Amino acid sequence: MNIPLILSLIFFINSPSKILSEEKKSIFISVNGLVCDFCAVSIEKTFNKKQAVESLNINLDKMLITIHLKDGFDLENDMIIDLINKSGYNVIDINRNK
Amino acid sequence: MSQPIVIHSILINYDYLNNMWFKVVIYLLIFFSYNSTPARPISYVGGWTLMQKNDYNQNSFHLHYSPSVNYSIGYRAEYWRTDHWQFHGAQLNYLLKRINKPKSQTNLYLRNGLGLSYSDNMELENKTEPSIFSGIAFDWENRRFYTSYENRVHFSPKIHSFYNQKAKIGLAPYVGEYGDLHTWLLFQIEHMPKSDAKKLILTPLIRLFKGDILGEFGYSNSGDFILNFIKRF
Repeated sequence: MNIPLILSLIFFINSPSKILSEEKKSIFISVNGLVCDFCAVSIEKTFNKKQAVESLNINLDKMLITIHLKDGFDLENDMIIDLINKSGYNVIDINRNK
Repeated sequence: MSQPIVIHSILINYDYLNNMWFKVVIYLLIFFSYNSTPARPISYVGGWTLMQKNDYNQNSFHLHYSPSVNYSIGYRAEYWRTDHWQFHGAQLNYLLKRINKPKSQTNLYLRNGLGLSYSDNMELENKTEPSIFSGIAFDWENRRFYTSYENRVHFSPKIHSFYNQKAKIGLAPYVGEYGDLHTWLLFQIEHMPKSDAKKLILTPLIRLFKGDILGEFGYSNSGDFILNFIKRF
């Protein structure tokens, strides 16, 4: 049995680059004026039209929108600000996990 | 969407207003429009909203589309039961000012309508004439408290011209997250100076709100029920 080959394969499968590629990009957006479900619906419907968006979570208590992106996709800050403004709200801050 | 075609036909050929079946269709549309908003008269860009309200005076139906976050345009139908008249027309809602704060939102709107009024009461049998209305609407809310005010001047010289104003205050007994069933306890005061019946109508209301659907249920001091539905899509 070729033990070095097996160890190499195990190392390759569990390599950090593989782990990183499975980690989803997320964007955290703090927004002013997000006070009710209609506000959240507006945000959800606007962002769900974008191909880059895999899923979205809205926390009314923290006024925070979390967007999980599909692999290989991104959303520029300018586009995010434009979409939030078109929904009727104002961006305070945008943070990313990568 | 066949609705705009039907509306167009009504506006062009308003002999239709005399048709019994037309009245039945409008009545049913107003009472059973569950698929189709008291909240804000403007939605997000590209959003549609359906508002259907029933109170002591009238049944109304308002479907609007928002090409921009600053205005919406739509169709409005009203049936005023006590005076036996209807209004059908276009309504333009314009956002004059919005203030978004970390924990609250404030809005000031201008609402204008242009269309036809039709009366089938005894004195004005089958009378149809152009009408216009205008008003402002204000609301402020955070996740615990709500307040709103709106007024309207309606001008329909022979059929019915009036001024009314309405204010609401509300409290949420608990604060839920997005997607939860939200409950509001509201109190509404409506003032109708030219009313032959009660000029001041007081109504305690319960608002139930979940996702894109909102309903309000109340019982006024004039002994009538209020039922309002809103759907945003």
